[in-house]
Amino acid sequence: MTDRALTATAHGPLDELAHDERGGISNPILGMLLFITSEVMFFAGLFAAYFASRAAIAPWPPTEFEHTLEPLGIVFPATVLLVISSVTCQIGVNAIRRDDRSGFIRAIGITLVLGIVFLVIQIYDYGLLYSHGLTLASGPYGTTYYTLTGFHGAHVFGGVIMLAVVLYRGMAGQFSARHHDAVEGTSIYWHFVDVVWIGLYLTLYWLR
Amino acid sequence: MRMSHVRNAVAIGILFVVIAFIYWAVPYFGGWHLDYAGVTMLAALGIAMALMAYVLVAGSPRE
Repeated sequence: MTDRALTATAHGPLDELAHDERGGISNPILGMLLFITSEVMFFAGLFAAYFASRAAIAPWPPTEFEHTLEPLGIVFPATVLLVISSVTCQIGVNAIRRDDRSGFIRAIGITLVLGIVFLVIQIYDYGLLYSHGLTLASGPYGTTYYTLTGFHGAHVFGGVIMLAVVLYRGMAGQFSARHHDAVEGTSIYWHFVDVVWIGLYLTLYWLR
Repeated sequence: MRMSHVRNAVAIGILFVVIAFIYWAVPYFGGWHLDYAGVTMLAALGIAMALMAYVLVAGSPRE
């Protein structure tokens, strides 16, 4: 990448992203934003299937699963951890923007650990739900629940891989205040995954 | 008026959310069948279209 590709601009809400000297956004971030746009519609399809099923089936949740999904159960601390991980991810991005490499590595490392912990909690939660009889075969309720949370979990797993790569490259000294498009892109993706989870959590656990 | 301002991207998103609201409100208050999948997709399309418009704004050279 040439120096020309990452000249900061002076004003406006887009200035924290990398731009070329004419003001155009950098290709990696442009690609990530387009990818996330497609992901919005992907999850929209899943949410649409959920709401359509929910509207067509009464009662919802089915009587036998009325108290299976507890909003303040183990999923609550998992949600808090994921929100905190978004904060630490942004702290890492801000650190590399200031060329603070040790702060960047520390924050991204914490984010990575929080992401892994979230996945472990989700797997544990799946075990609990299976023991309560909620499986993929439990009708539309079980199918939509596991499809929505499963695809989200797959995205978190993808984000964890991206964070691990960013952390490795950061420890190898490949990022600086001028060259860190991969960090910005990964951060945008991680925030997206976090926002989707908040939507899922509110829809699946709180919406009665 | 600069068409490439970020608020225009937000306005595009809001436009689709308003359409989603109308798509929900008309059958809801009219007593017809409510298509929740369509409402969800329209609302999400608002987010996606706003992002697309944002990409166009952010990707445009400022010369």
